[in-house]
Amino acid sequence: MGMKKKLLVLFILVLMAFVGLGVRLILITKNNGEEYEKQVLSQQEYDSTTLPFRRGEILDANGTILAYSEKVYNVILDAKLLLRNEKYLEPTIKALVTNFDLDASAIRTYLSEHPTSQYYILAKKLSYNQISAFQEMITPGSETYNEDIQGVWFESGYIRKYPNGSLACDIIGFTSSDNNGMYGLEEYYNDTLSGTTGREYGYLDDDSKLERTTIPATDGDSIITTIDGNLQNIVEKYLAEFNETYKNNVRQGNGANNVGCIMMDVNSGEVLAMASYPFFDLNDPRDTSNLIGMPAVDENGNKIKGESVFDSGVYITEDMLSEFTDEQLYQNYNALWRNFCISDTYEPGSVAKPFTVATGLETGSITGNEVYNCKGSLEVGGWPIKCHNVYGDGSVSVERSIEISCNVALMYIGQAIGVNKFTKFQKDFGFGLKTNIDLAGEARTEGLTYSASNMGPTDLAVNTFGQGFNVDMIEMITGYCSLINGGYYYEPHVVKKIVSSSGATIKNIEPRVLRQTVSPSTSEKIIQYCEAVVMGDEGTGKTARPAGYRIIGKTGTAQTLPRGNRQYVVSFMGAAPANDPQIAIYVVVDRPNVAEQSTSTRLATTLVRNILTEALPYLNYPMTEELSEKEQEELELLREKLITTAPETEEVQEGLAPAEGAESEAESAEATEESTENTEEGEIVEDRSSIWETFDRDPETGYYVDPDTGAKIDPESRTVIEGDVLPDFENGDAAQTPESN
Amino acid sequence: MERVATRFEKKSFWARREDSYIDYSLIFVILFLLAFGLIMLYSTSSYDANLTMGDPAYYFKHQLIPTALGLVAMIFMSYFPYRILEKLTVPIYLLAVALFFLLIPFGRTVNGAKRWVIIAGVSIQPAEVAKVAAIIFTATMIIKLQKNLMTIKGYLVALLFPTILAFMVYKMTRNLSSAVIIFGITFIMLFVATPGYKRYILAALGGIAFIAVIIAVIANSEDSSGMNYRFRRVLAWLDPNAYASDESFQTLQALYAIGSGGIFGKGLGESMQKMKLPEAQNDMIFSIICEELGLFGAIAVMLMFLLLIWRLMVIANNAPDMYGALLVIGVMGHIAIQVILNIAVVTNTIPNTGITLPFISYGGSAVIIQLAEIGIALNVARNIGRY
Repeated sequence: MGMKKKLLVLFILVLMAFVGLGVRLILITKNNGEEYEKQVLSQQEYDSTTLPFRRGEILDANGTILAYSEKVYNVILDAKLLLRNEKYLEPTIKALVTNFDLDASAIRTYLSEHPTSQYYILAKKLSYNQISAFQEMITPGSETYNEDIQGVWFESGYIRKYPNGSLACDIIGFTSSDNNGMYGLEEYYNDTLSGTTGREYGYLDDDSKLERTTIPATDGDSIITTIDGNLQNIVEKYLAEFNETYKNNVRQGNGANNVGCIMMDVNSGEVLAMASYPFFDLNDPRDTSNLIGMPAVDENGNKIKGESVFDSGVYITEDMLSEFTDEQLYQNYNALWRNFCISDTYEPGSVAKPFTVATGLETGSITGNEVYNCKGSLEVGGWPIKCHNVYGDGSVSVERSIEISCNVALMYIGQAIGVNKFTKFQKDFGFGLKTNIDLAGEARTEGLTYSASNMGPTDLAVNTFGQGFNVDMIEMITGYCSLINGGYYYEPHVVKKIVSSSGATIKNIEPRVLRQTVSPSTSEKIIQYCEAVVMGDEGTGKTARPAGYRIIGKTGTAQTLPRGNRQYVVSFMGAAPANDPQIAIYVVVDRPNVAEQSTSTRLATTLVRNILTEALPYLNYPMTEELSEKEQEELELLREKLITTAPETEEVQEGLAPAEGAESEAESAEATEESTENTEEGEIVEDRSSIWETFDRDPETGYYVDPDTGAKIDPESRTVIEGDVLPDFENGDAAQTPESN
Repeated sequence: MERVATRFEKKSFWARREDSYIDYSLIFVILFLLAFGLIMLYSTSSYDANLTMGDPAYYFKHQLIPTALGLVAMIFMSYFPYRILEKLTVPIYLLAVALFFLLIPFGRTVNGAKRWVIIAGVSIQPAEVAKVAAIIFTATMIIKLQKNLMTIKGYLVALLFPTILAFMVYKMTRNLSSAVIIFGITFIMLFVATPGYKRYILAALGGIAFIAVIIAVIANSEDSSGMNYRFRRVLAWLDPNAYASDESFQTLQALYAIGSGGIFGKGLGESMQKMKLPEAQNDMIFSIICEELGLFGAIAVMLMFLLLIWRLMVIANNAPDMYGALLVIGVMGHIAIQVILNIAVVTNTIPNTGITLPFISYGGSAVIIQLAEIGIALNVARNIGRY
């Protein structure tokens, strides 16, 4: 029985232990419950540290970094930790003030007002160099370690940097503060560039020691673009130069509402350069100074109309900026940030003519041997639609219709093609469809072109020369590349490779042919016709030819809506070299800041000429044409301003015979024409006489003057000043003065 | 022996079954603790398991199989006549010793200590086997030594062999807590089996004095990084806040869990500390019970354990023979020690040691062995009223 008793004693001992532990549990809950509960809540955030990932880089085709992320540190003050002991206060404040240039009294004020705060950002986005000295002071074991510095720690993060500032701003886009891409590649490739956030949390080993375990952040992938930084630089230089020349010219504002330029590899759809003025600094996209001179936009992004129908817009001035509400400011930022080359649509004008001719040839509607008689206008559907030369171009072959940009001939071709084939081919060329370029913000153009069912004869007529339907730049140049490369329609793209943060290739983006638009024989004819535009005697695009090269192309001078507003979109779309087009270029100047927009096509061609003069040598295309003395002089001058190192002058000249002959000199005189005024009218070579050539010339401007109407005719573009091709269909006002294109 | 049966006539199998005593309340308590344990295990470990294993039910699934095996072992042992264990004493003891030596070729090293033997993909913790071996061996020794137990020499002989096991646990697996449990089981069995209190009171006082001196020495010694980690744990126990980021991190976090739970807790699955407390499903699961179910839930669990211990005491008191009683006392001692020490650690009443909560903490070997021990107790209960 002794055992039973002892068992009972044992049980009582166990019971006492249980009671003791129960009491202890109750005491813990009762005495420290509140404090521990706070502790639990406060340490939640403290311990589940997230580790930021590094966003992938954006590189150009040559490996130049266009965008990268740099690690930065925020200085965080933990007031509660610092105030644990009086002795920490002074050394810590002293160290903070000396290292980070902070205001000691401000810190003291904060500490006295928020003694329990555990997270207060003292300084933001400091580089490692800026914090390293302080970091040493709080790292045990280092020489400058001071154990009295307490309650300060660093929170790391990444900021996006764009080493080239505004270079390729429209292509790259930028990131918001929460690391999300906005516009361009940053937005389109946001998921690729973003990595995965890591975590750090504690765990105990067998000896109950706290170990920190990290799930490291996965850095984002980098993208290698097809953009050639040097070409991009050349393009942007001349766009900026253009703006310098024409800003505040006849109106307060930029050189044009928009100036866009795309350069593309004809045989792959790779975008080599793409820019639109105005630019903005990617490192500071909200710099208001870039807004000045831009046409202001309303809440829908549409340009605010001026008082008169002839005003191209209301241009932002400093006074307007100061009165902008935040909302208005943001609307206009969006206008600044959007990429004109892919986001804005407009009527292309005559640059669409090669497409019409290609359609005619491809469908067999024309053979290319036709000759049309242009009497200056053609009545279609009851509307007299004029040629830009209202006096008539006489007999016009298919080739000459492109060379001199004859609307009447094109309308005849359009009638031969018919509505069904015309609209089908428009779709084939990609008009009215997205190109699916890998950039954020591409315009949706569906519904901006006609379909066979809703296209009337008048619509067809104006469509043949690029009016009445809307496109964006990328659509045009992508379609044009297919016209001149044998008919292969490549999907345009900006990124050619995706690599991981360690440099391993994740994906190669190969050129992708989407469809065959025209046959190689049609393509050859289009090249031939387009060469006449630049190289032909009557060519409208002669001023686009860079010295020493043969190129092809087509000019465009499109009327805008409402008709009769005297506002034009002038453009040139071409490619080089002429015998085997490799590089396509498209420049669009939207409502240039000149008095006479209808005859300002030269602005676009001159831009093309300037860009190609520098770009072609850079791309190692040898000169094939003789240089006149004047061209040589100009090239010498230019070389001093070059961004890129062009091949040595001597080498170029060695391969070329010395310039000679009056013809080439005359040509160059025209080709190098840069001013808006033609002062060398006497040298203009004109084979075919036109009626207007018998008119007297205005000695001041060099324009021919029609003695009957008083209309002025620009001899170079063969265009009647302040004339519109198109009657105002909507207002029934067909009696407008002459035309353009 | 209140329920001594006097019918010895030969009976049919069925009739015997009717007569045999089954301790339903014990079985109920065990099943309750197992089910409750699995729920709490899932609640506690799902966050961490999802994060590290990719499957929130990882620990739950891995505990389910040993629990099922343990129940099989319990049923088997409840039919396995316990007297045969007496004859198997030496083989069982040798098996336990052999397992320790298997650690050398088959041991899995975790953080510098080998605690698991892996044979054919099955991992066994020799320390758990040693505990049941110690119970069986001590019971047999007490029967064998009988009156000799009263002499100092006999007493020391009874202590010797389990102490060897405890020493092996300590030396070969660096697992002091299991060694203390083995020694404690033997000590409790001897305490109940031998008359008199004097020597135990003296021993207890001596032990307390010894521990007090050691603590005093450690507390006054300089804290240096080269110090034995057990010493540092003692320091951490004395001043948890000073070691908040390392040694006493776990203890402090457990205290925060208990304190923040309040009277009725945050609700099942609502613990925040399980995200902080690393491997909370092991030693620290009781703190998560406190946090989620509050004082109410914690005390209910303690009452269940008390009920379990009380039932074991009743079985021991009514055991048909001395050997059966001793086995049950051993099982009772084992469970009581582990529960008390575990809760004491969680409440920072004693320094941190790695002792798990029986039937609830994560651990396969432990739950199988503990259920087998309950099976032995059930077999003893089944024989109440026979012989």
